[in-house]
Amino acid sequence: MFNYYLRLAAISIRRHWGLSLIMITAIGLGIGTAMTTVTVNYMMSANPIPQKSEQLFYVQLDSWDVNDPFDEGQNPPDQMTYTDATNLFKADKAFRHSISAQAFAVIEPQDPDLLPITVNARANSADFFAMFNVPFLYGGAWSAQADTNKELVAVINRETNDSLFAGKNSVGELIRIDGNLFKIVGVIDNWQPTPKYYDVTSGAFNDTEELFVPFSLIAEEKITRAGNTSCWKPSGDGMAAFLRSECIWIQFWVELRDEQEQQDYLTFLDAYVEQQKQLGRFERPLDNRLSNVMQWLENQEVVADDAKMMMAMSFMFLVVCLLNTVGLLLAKFLGKAPEIGLRQALGASKATLFYQYLVESACIGLGGGLLGLVLAWLGLQSVAAMYGDYMKDLTSLDTTMVLLAMLLALGSTVIAGLYPTWRACNVQPSQQLKSQ
Amino acid sequence: MLSMNNLCKVFQSADIQTHALREVNLSVNEGDFLSVTGPSGSGKTTFLNIAGLLENHSSGEFLLDGENVGALKDSARSRLRNQKIGFIFQGFNLIPDLNLYDNVDVPLRYRGFNARERKQRIHSQLERVGLASRMKHLPAQLSGGQQQRVAIARALATDPRFLLADEPTGNLDSEMAQGVMSLLEEINQQGTTIIMVTHDTELAQRASRSIQIKDGRVSEVPPLMKRVIA
Repeated sequence: MFNYYLRLAAISIRRHWGLSLIMITAIGLGIGTAMTTVTVNYMMSANPIPQKSEQLFYVQLDSWDVNDPFDEGQNPPDQMTYTDATNLFKADKAFRHSISAQAFAVIEPQDPDLLPITVNARANSADFFAMFNVPFLYGGAWSAQADTNKELVAVINRETNDSLFAGKNSVGELIRIDGNLFKIVGVIDNWQPTPKYYDVTSGAFNDTEELFVPFSLIAEEKITRAGNTSCWKPSGDGMAAFLRSECIWIQFWVELRDEQEQQDYLTFLDAYVEQQKQLGRFERPLDNRLSNVMQWLENQEVVADDAKMMMAMSFMFLVVCLLNTVGLLLAKFLGKAPEIGLRQALGASKATLFYQYLVESACIGLGGGLLGLVLAWLGLQSVAAMYGDYMKDLTSLDTTMVLLAMLLALGSTVIAGLYPTWRACNVQPSQQLKSQ
Repeated sequence: MLSMNNLCKVFQSADIQTHALREVNLSVNEGDFLSVTGPSGSGKTTFLNIAGLLENHSSGEFLLDGENVGALKDSARSRLRNQKIGFIFQGFNLIPDLNLYDNVDVPLRYRGFNARERKQRIHSQLERVGLASRMKHLPAQLSGGQQQRVAIARALATDPRFLLADEPTGNLDSEMAQGVMSLLEEINQQGTTIIMVTHDTELAQRASRSIQIKDGRVSEVPPLMKRVIA
């Protein structure tokens, strides 16, 4: 009977095409608006590394001013000092650990005809690539020894490789940065975790960096440090003074494979802070934290409150559209009361008729869902055009979102159709048959 | 095969009770052609609706093929209607969006026949009423008489044991009415029991039995009386 009901629905929709079109448009508008905001929220709150997000932990230590707590005492500082980060790094207590900071570089191509390229860079330790599952097109990460030995090595991304080497395997080639020659050891394939969880301090939805160099080169001033820096004490003059200061500017991640490792690492952090307290630092109460990827993103409020508010409002708009659809379906189905009465006389039970008209509601919902997808796509393009690069990774409909849109359209229209269908199926057939 | 014992129907609206049928006692046997006459508002259509299981009676007993239908649920009543009862209405009641083929197909779908069986029955019934060549036409493309013939084809498609006709010729001119009446007589002669509500006493006397309903009370009209009324 399902195919029969589909055919009847198609006939009915064609016959009352004006009314059907209004309903499909109403549902399409509601679904399109809701899916635009849901997609942005979904992409914002997506798990960027699901296979190991439970094993990667962001480390926070409360090294801040005892008289003026960071974040009003709600959270420890969101970055780490050079002193603490390098101490934890040297202690080597985690399965893997990554010390990193944003940097900035100008690459001077060897070809004199090419202009220098300004790139966003990252100064990081070797484990960074393995911890965050960075995919390589050519070569690979540098070694831990390269970190220790402060070797002038670099990893570039695919785009930079295309610009400088026309996409060829550039491993072993040299690039000049600030007058120093860096040897390329790896080329990263397309890689854009969304959100960019490993450093949300300078924009959770920014592009990944084009150049990666050993963190140890910052202290050597072979690479220029960039990104957000916060200080609660004067940092003094010169690089050496800055590195000794209480300024925070480094992201420190560890990879811990099980609960025991997590517990052990927290114990180590507590011991480290206690030791630092004896040296006159860390005057605030002990508040060391390990946050896994999703906890860290939530802590940093990567999904902005206004985005959540927009989503709530768009769902309210969807409800308004559906209420309109309820009214239109009611008018349509009650207009069919004589046919419903006749079908009852010819042997249709109320349950059968209920099924038939729900199929018709679902067909309208399907049409609304398809229109909603088109409108959602247009909406996302508008968001991308309005906000530019910042939002470009949040404005694409993936398979999950397409399926969700269709399910939302079908589900909500069927629910919207329940009351009109119920009313229509409860018409008194004898009255309808006489009045025709 | 159809038996009503002390059957009553009362409509209740606000504080008003309307007695549409009062203590009806009636038996209709297989092969009967029963005409039902009476003035407007006398309860003829209510009688037909109860006989066709479209409405419940208020009290008394109604047996259809020995089965007490008073306590049946909606699904069981629908199944009985589909299997045993065919309807013909004054206004034809064809579905305007469906062509003749699909209109006749409606009760067959609810009966659960397969596609081949449905096709065979639809062709057979439309041929019987002389409209097989127009099965792809919409009802609006036919005359009133032709539409009523399609309604008869639809009513007969499931081989019902009862045919309930509510003023089947009421919207037709006399020539078309005669044609439809002849068709009903032919159907009755082939064994289908017919209960026909009509205002037309001339048509009523062509039935094998007649009852008259007045103020909700049913009385049998003897054959002699039928001629007097005529």
